[in-house]
Amino acid sequence: MRNTLIQAKNLFKIYGKENSAQVVAVDDVSVEIRRGEFVAIMGASGSGKSTLMNILGCLDKPDSGTLLLDGTEVSKLDDEQLAKVRNQKIGFVFQTFNLLARTSALENVELPLIYSDKQDITKLAKDSLQAVGLADRMDHHPGELSGGQQQRVAIARALVNDPEIIFADEPTGNLDTRSSLDIIALFSELNNSGRTIVLVTHEPDIAAHTRRIIKIADGKIVSDEENKNPINAKTELEKISATEVANENK
Amino acid sequence: MKTNRLFKIAFTGLGRNKLRTFLMMIGIVIGITALTLIISAGLGAQKRVMDRVKKFGLQSMMLFAGGGREMGQPVSGGPVTTLTLRDAEAIKREVSTIDEVAPFNRKPNAEIKYLDKSTTATVFGITPSWAYVWDWDVQSGDFISENDMDNLNRVCLLGPTVKKELFGDENPIGQQIRIGNIQFEVKGVMQSKGTSPGGGDMDNRVNIPLSTFMRRVANVDYIFGIKILLTSAKEMGQTAENISAILRERHTIAAGMPDDFRIVTPDEVTQFAEKVAGTFNIFLALVAGIALIAGGVVVANIMLISVSERKKEIGLRKAVGARSRDIKLQFLFEATAVTLVGGIIGIILGGIGAQILKIVTGIPVSVSWLGVVLGVVSSSLVGIIAGMQPASRAAKMQPVESLRA
Repeated sequence: MRNTLIQAKNLFKIYGKENSAQVVAVDDVSVEIRRGEFVAIMGASGSGKSTLMNILGCLDKPDSGTLLLDGTEVSKLDDEQLAKVRNQKIGFVFQTFNLLARTSALENVELPLIYSDKQDITKLAKDSLQAVGLADRMDHHPGELSGGQQQRVAIARALVNDPEIIFADEPTGNLDTRSSLDIIALFSELNNSGRTIVLVTHEPDIAAHTRRIIKIADGKIVSDEENKNPINAKTELEKISATEVANENK
Repeated sequence: MKTNRLFKIAFTGLGRNKLRTFLMMIGIVIGITALTLIISAGLGAQKRVMDRVKKFGLQSMMLFAGGGREMGQPVSGGPVTTLTLRDAEAIKREVSTIDEVAPFNRKPNAEIKYLDKSTTATVFGITPSWAYVWDWDVQSGDFISENDMDNLNRVCLLGPTVKKELFGDENPIGQQIRIGNIQFEVKGVMQSKGTSPGGGDMDNRVNIPLSTFMRRVANVDYIFGIKILLTSAKEMGQTAENISAILRERHTIAAGMPDDFRIVTPDEVTQFAEKVAGTFNIFLALVAGIALIAGGVVVANIMLISVSERKKEIGLRKAVGARSRDIKLQFLFEATAVTLVGGIIGIILGGIGAQILKIVTGIPVSVSWLGVVLGVVSSSLVGIIAGMQPASRAAKMQPVESLRA
């Protein structure tokens, strides 16, 4: 098994027409992500971090540069092959959850399986929901779930095809502190069991939970450092619970 | 890729947006209902014509005195005197495909009296061959014989309506009635034939020997028409041509001059009826077609709106692995499912409507597989055509841009 999962070299992404106001969203970025990593891509809004994530996640194509995913040169793939890559190798989690309304949690999780060749998709979706702790909410519609629960459904959906890597774009951006910690704890747990996770965020508090922090500004990588002491979300949660209990007993 | 999964997505998606689905469906329902009604009524009318043609006889044709191109009475005014009994004999003798001929003349609105009772009926002068050619015999008594013809006997056969008017439940056979001022002995009562294709009462008649009619009643030497029975239903056209040639020669009609007689074949009867029904059907089909097109435009519009409204859904589906083809099929299935279900509802409503039409107006209807198949096919077609543009628009969307929306 090769250890390198993603190898990007000299990626460029430029918005706007030539000779007019051009925005270089991704400016000569080269980066390598290995299996089992838990990476945060950090930056202010407009820094190009989401564009970079979309390119690494095969949602968007770079204007130039090469991108190897699991040994495959992605820029040479056509629409159909890209769809297959997104379906089999990548899981996405979005800030706004992007669940289908009026559709049960179970059916939302089944969605990627519909586009795969897998059989028995309901069982796989149920297993995935169970893994994120929502076994008892399978028939609920997104409207009947809290933000944290909705994001868990979205994570179950990202996991259901057993992808090589999960990309999460500001997954806690729409959540309160407690739900955010919940979600981060879930990601940490997944990473501990070997899943590669790339998390895009502008909040240092969130990034501090990961093992490697890549900082982006104006489309360029300004720093790429290992985080030797990641915060443990579980212990954080326990602390919050403890203070809550203490406050109630006052 | 599992196409049936996409089918399922399309159908459940429609169920979740009931108002949108209903609005898309309504135009198609109306169009297909109209289409089904039209086909049912059209086929019903056609069936009625065919039934009448069969009653008249598929192996026979009518020859009328006088020219004219259309059906019905000769266009020239006054009686046409050129067709004679000898023409009938000549035709039968010279055309091998003719089985038998039944020449006749008639006098409408004759006064018929029995004792102090009187009624009005059409008097027909007929020959013994009538019973065979028209397949129309007496129900009691005896038919007109060759002897009656030769001797100009004053005997008559009553139609059931006349018999009822004059005799009620009495037995009329052997009784004396008067046609105008001439006395006739009742020899028999005709079988009932009911209503004619023109709507008249075919039983309100008195049949007498043709010779007696010509000499004693009308005092003419011409006949009104001949019913001709063929040996087979084929060669209808050839037989008509042969008859025409013989008559033109006998009547010394120069080349280029119009006929002084008219041949009406069952084909012509059917064609005329189809022409009348056809004009009406084209108009109604146009209405149904316009309703379907309008319905299709509505479907296309709502689908387009739906595609831009569901940008995020499309982006998400692409992000989790849907190919452009999958998205295209999903929207195409949605449009087709709407119109197909609308079409099926329309077929059912049209079928019910046809039955109501039959009960209320008496217009014959006949619900057929043709209507069902045409309804299903045309509604699916509308869906596919209407869904094409929105579906390819959805398919072309880029995942990143749609997700950002």
